[in-house]
Amino acid sequence: MPEVPIVMPQLGESIAEATIVKINVAIGDVIEAEQDLIEVETNKATMSVPTLCGGIIKDLCLEEGVSYAVGSVLGVIDVTDEEIQRTGVSTVQQDQVEDQSHAPESDGESEDDEEANLHFKTEGGGYFEPKAVEPNVQGLPVPMGNKGAHYISPRMRARMNELGLQAADISAVNGSGAGGRVTVADLEKFLDYISAWPSSAASPMRLAVADAMRRSWSRPLATVARPIVMDALLAHRSAQVPKPGLTLYVLRAFALALAEHPEAAGYLIGGRIVHPRAFDIGLAVQVADGVMVPVVRNVDTKSVKELSNDYAELVELARGRRLTEEHTRGGIATVTNFGTFGLTWGTPIPLPNETLILGISAGVKKPVWSDQVGAFIPVMEAELNLTFDHRVIDGGDAGRVLNRVAELLESPENL
Amino acid sequence: MTEQTISTPNKDLSKELSKEHARDVFRAMLRARVLEIKLSNLYKAGKIVGGVYIGKGQEAVSASLGACLTWNKDVFAPLIRDQAGRTAFGEDPLDATRTYLGSAKGPMRGRDGNLHRGRPAEGLLAMISHLGAAVAQVGGVLLAKRIKGELDGCVGATCVGDGATSTGAFHEGLNFIAVERLPMVVIIADNQFAYSTPNDRQYACDDLIDRAKGYGLEGHSVDGTDMLECATVIGNAVAKARSGGGPQLIVAKLLRLSGHGEHDDGSYVATELQEGRYGRDCNDVGKQQLIEKGWLTELEYSKWMLEFNAEAQEAVAVAQREDGPNPYKEEWSAIASPSLKGLQ
Amino acid sequence: MAVTYIDAIRDAQERALAENPKVFLYGQDIGKFGGAFKATKGLQEQWPDRVIDAPISEDAMIGMAVGAAIEGMRPIIEMQFADFSSVAFNQIVNQAATHYYRTGIPVPIVVRLPSGGTPGSGPFHSQSMESIYAHYPGTVVVTPATVADAHSMLLQAVDLDDPVIYCEHKFLYRWLKSDNFEGDNLPIGKARITRSGKHATVVTYSAMVHEAVRAAEILYKEGGWEIEVVDLRSVKPLDIDTVVASVARTGRILALGEAFPWGGVTSEVVSRVCAEGFHLLDAPPMRLNAKDTPVPYHPKLWAMHRPTPESICEALRNLLAY
Repeated sequence: MPEVPIVMPQLGESIAEATIVKINVAIGDVIEAEQDLIEVETNKATMSVPTLCGGIIKDLCLEEGVSYAVGSVLGVIDVTDEEIQRTGVSTVQQDQVEDQSHAPESDGESEDDEEANLHFKTEGGGYFEPKAVEPNVQGLPVPMGNKGAHYISPRMRARMNELGLQAADISAVNGSGAGGRVTVADLEKFLDYISAWPSSAASPMRLAVADAMRRSWSRPLATVARPIVMDALLAHRSAQVPKPGLTLYVLRAFALALAEHPEAAGYLIGGRIVHPRAFDIGLAVQVADGVMVPVVRNVDTKSVKELSNDYAELVELARGRRLTEEHTRGGIATVTNFGTFGLTWGTPIPLPNETLILGISAGVKKPVWSDQVGAFIPVMEAELNLTFDHRVIDGGDAGRVLNRVAELLESPENL
Repeated sequence: MTEQTISTPNKDLSKELSKEHARDVFRAMLRARVLEIKLSNLYKAGKIVGGVYIGKGQEAVSASLGACLTWNKDVFAPLIRDQAGRTAFGEDPLDATRTYLGSAKGPMRGRDGNLHRGRPAEGLLAMISHLGAAVAQVGGVLLAKRIKGELDGCVGATCVGDGATSTGAFHEGLNFIAVERLPMVVIIADNQFAYSTPNDRQYACDDLIDRAKGYGLEGHSVDGTDMLECATVIGNAVAKARSGGGPQLIVAKLLRLSGHGEHDDGSYVATELQEGRYGRDCNDVGKQQLIEKGWLTELEYSKWMLEFNAEAQEAVAVAQREDGPNPYKEEWSAIASPSLKGLQ
Repeated sequence: MAVTYIDAIRDAQERALAENPKVFLYGQDIGKFGGAFKATKGLQEQWPDRVIDAPISEDAMIGMAVGAAIEGMRPIIEMQFADFSSVAFNQIVNQAATHYYRTGIPVPIVVRLPSGGTPGSGPFHSQSMESIYAHYPGTVVVTPATVADAHSMLLQAVDLDDPVIYCEHKFLYRWLKSDNFEGDNLPIGKARITRSGKHATVVTYSAMVHEAVRAAEILYKEGGWEIEVVDLRSVKPLDIDTVVASVARTGRILALGEAFPWGGVTSEVVSRVCAEGFHLLDAPPMRLNAKDTPVPYHPKLWAMHRPTPESICEALRNLLAY
């Protein structure tokens, strides 16, 4: 038999609950349509709640003197199908599905007006009234003007994004806006101006390097340097067959020094220092229109002689631009030999995911005073330049690593 | 110009009340009462949101007006206690139950509710909540008919309560229909309370009928609890307006026999008033009057009650079975012009 | 022979009366007297039954119009001054504007609001009410700025099926002239680019269109600035597409209006541009309105209360310098 609920009605627009004053029926009572079942009292009025259909009281769950929220089910009536048809009342099951009948299929959430002021609800079930409070935070100094000097407007951002421009790219543009701000008109004028100059598309390699360098440059990078005497190293290298690359010696010495000072190769990410898992060192190889950096594995555990084949193979692959991701990932630091271009000094920039890069310059013959001989003697001297992320290590740490590299290179027979 | 008549009951009546007309008025009173009891019960059972406002005690006045009006020809702007007038005028009880229960098939399609319903194209205007606003609106319909040359034989009517007489709109509207001398009947159902505010806080004149002269309307007083008197006085006022006699103002004295709405038990209405002259139920009076005149038998009355109960029950059942509006398929545009639909 | 803005309003009403028997005019002093501004001069002589004098009852005037519209007529209601329409506010926003949505029966009425300030008119004969009525669903609010628009938009308004608030600017009545009533006949709902430019956009309507054009002329002479002026023509619906397209060209926008500064049309323009064209903005959008006081009486105060070519230039200079 269909069941029809007895529901606490909404007796006035602002009424949330009502108190049961009197219950006129008991379970099992036979009732007629329009008969008053209960009397309820709100803060506005007292009134009776009738049934819309006849039937038998099946269940009652209410007490006199107790308040119930509007919409609460206070009982259930057994009603015949004929009576349902005659009166058009909805049954318990119909009531449950009614609210979802118009919602889109995906929309299963139910809205609860009661939750509207959840913000002010207390744990005990009541609500507190928010009161005005004095601000307890001292404000920042307020600028006299409201024009942001280096403000990039929404339109500038959108246009830069469209053109692939970074903030660095518009540093060449003279700003005519407030506080020297570059306006869109300035940018368009600049683009128009440079359109008369010869230009060419940057190669993917160039763009990749540009991207890596720009990202790396977002960090505070510092460079330290010291000379080393190369004669012993050059002599040792000349005695080997085949001759190992000079850079390989530097690679090996760098790896050994870092193995002794692994904290120097740490990588700062958020609040953590990530330490090296293996002493895999990258090697900067100049190729057409860019630089490739193959990584030599476990440099601290193999001698120069043992590393020679791997090294030669990687250099070959790099020059042929045939390196795969396997060859380039996972380095903890890089060595660059700008001495091959005859350069005597530089400030190399580490890869964005590395803290250190070690550069070696061209050797130069210099007179050096020798206490042993009592005269100036000619030695081959080169410069070692170590660039580091100053967030991770300081000048002293960098110096210790660099000194150790120099010491190792001056005794090449141990490498 | 208009003549001023502060009439006393059954005085200066140009036309005798017919048996058929009296029975029509009473039937509408009964039908409205039965329907409103159903609506009240639906509300108390939690099936109607918003509110239910009934016209208990005002059926004689309201039905006497509605019974004189012709659907699709005259224009009628009822207010909140005019179910009897609506019924007598010709409103389908389904319009009432569908609007109260929010059926998408009702004339208001769930966009407005309860008594805010009508069929303006057929002469039944849909009230807004702002009291007095309908007076000029009905006048506008009549003025339009006059411009079109279709006014002859038509009449407009509206009802207000004592509270509405305090509004500027009521004043402006009454003045306007008087200036234009439109065929219109305005009834003030002075039920002594505007929500809970008694008359002595609403107006300071002795009797609201005194205002008729001020506005230049012909005035009539009537005991709103006396069905035959209402049917006669209001019927004659409508006939007079219709036949070119100018706008008519009727003040019906009575007592609201319910709360303001069904959320209100009207406990502020003093017992002396409830037991006094205007505390009697016009439906009881009407029944008694018809039986005394031999125009109604108890058996007929019982048959009518059965008929109207079944009709109301059916209207409620149909509306309850129907779906409400689908908010996901609602047009959500208040603009009628095709070229501007959906634009903000 | 030159025709004025008020001539256009009168002529459009004359034509509407002649062409459409459903049209009638209702308002205070509009009959034999021809209206406080002579917008209905001579019309009652031609149509004595359709040009009707109203009592001083703005509420009842609109209530009447709603009833007449339900009965199939297309009334044009003249408020003697826009300011007095506040008395009819309830009938406009609650009766007229809700009627179609509630009942499905349209109420095609035109409410003419002689709007805006003139010297010496003071607080109660100078107001601009367009924002108030545009706020409510169900209204159409138009603000013609030219003689041709005053003419064509009034005729279009009569043909629309919604309540149309027709804001006619009193300052333009006799000051604004044209050779004839002919124009481009743009439909209601479409804005117009009144002056083309590339450095900044001024979005405005009604009499302020002319002040904006003057300001643009000054700035052009001053520094070669090319200011684009967009005349909204109708503030509701608001042709945001034309506005955003203009901002796309210039990157800078000043929303200009004669109404009071809190909220309103200029705020609506700025908020929609921010929402729909944020990426087009090269400077924070600006607004310029009247001052936040009642419209003052004295001509010197009045002239400073509303935006002037000078104050518009000043605002534009700040906008351009950003």
